[in-house]
Amino acid sequence: MSESAVRTRRWTRVEYDKLIDSGFLCPGDKIELLGGQLCVSEPQNSPHARAISLSLEAIQRALAPGWHVRVQLPIALDDESEPEPDLAVVAGGPRDYADHPSRPALVVEVADSSLALDREHKGSLYARARLLEYWIVNLVDRVLEVYRESGPDAGAPYGWVYRVLLTLGPDERVTPLAAPSARILVADLLP
Amino acid sequence: MSESVVRTRRWSRVEYERLIEEGVFQAGERLELLAGQLVVREPQATPHATGIRLVTRALREVFGQDRWIVDMQLPVALDEESEPEPDVTVTADDPRDFLPSHPARPALVVEVAEASLALDREEKGSLYARARVPEYWILNLRDRVLEVYREPHPDPSSPHGWAYRSRQSLAAGEHVTPSAAPSARIAAANLLP
Repeated sequence: MSESAVRTRRWTRVEYDKLIDSGFLCPGDKIELLGGQLCVSEPQNSPHARAISLSLEAIQRALAPGWHVRVQLPIALDDESEPEPDLAVVAGGPRDYADHPSRPALVVEVADSSLALDREHKGSLYARARLLEYWIVNLVDRVLEVYRESGPDAGAPYGWVYRVLLTLGPDERVTPLAAPSARILVADLLP
Repeated sequence: MSESVVRTRRWSRVEYERLIEEGVFQAGERLELLAGQLVVREPQATPHATGIRLVTRALREVFGQDRWIVDMQLPVALDEESEPEPDVTVTADDPRDFLPSHPARPALVVEVAEASLALDREEKGSLYARARVPEYWILNLRDRVLEVYREPHPDPSSPHGWAYRSRQSLAAGEHVTPSAAPSARIAAANLLP
């Protein structure tokens, strides 16, 4: 159905959690709530899965104690969004959160077919939530895209964008804002 | 959100009815399930409501109460992923037949259209044609005409793969005869607010 003529119902995060609790959405469903829309994630191929494992390992090695990394788990981002980023670096340990964490210090998406979604929609959504740092492990071009410094931009899907984009090749290194003394080789993130 | 890069979850009619039963939606929400999408119905202006009343009155006059039911804005179990609530429907038979589910095959569906004209023509027209609803009217308030659609047939260029082959546009001075009431003659002027 074309979206030009129709307005579809938007869901709040509270309603979304209720859909999960009452069994309308199952843990196996690849669904994320993004800006009120129940978005279906594309199935993951093996390079995608490998990139998640590699990035998890590299980021965990780089972090000082006091952080932990969540893999494809929900983030209570805003009232109408509950994405499940491939990786999210959050302060503290798993027992420190009664609810889903809402402000990860770094979110990482591994992108091949989802590149446009990850750049435009999720990028704008994460920027609107003022997340400090967002990475896209771009498997199409074999680069790491590092996004920082969110700011308003009326042309973006959710009115916000990241103003700074660093595109790093396999031989370059990245220092996460949350781990100022670390230097991660981009090649270590790529499958 | 543009749909180019995002695929949203589709709902089946069975799921939709369970969402309603379990009270997931807010009271007073006006929704329709169209081809798996939960579509928000736009608020109605007064001429729209008047149009619905005029159409209902005219159709109740020509369709006898014994064999037909003329309903206003009640759900139709159109297909596995659609449960629209057309402005007016004419359905054959006994209401007790519908207890297990909403009626599925109206003989005539009418939408009163002002802001929703594009949706009613393209999306709903294609959806009703796909469900083989034999006759579909749009009371087009914008141009003050009655659009009469008949003969559903496959049409790959339509949103849902079906369209109506025959389309007539009747101005206020003209008359329409519903296929299911071949001896009736309804003046389009009597339907327009």
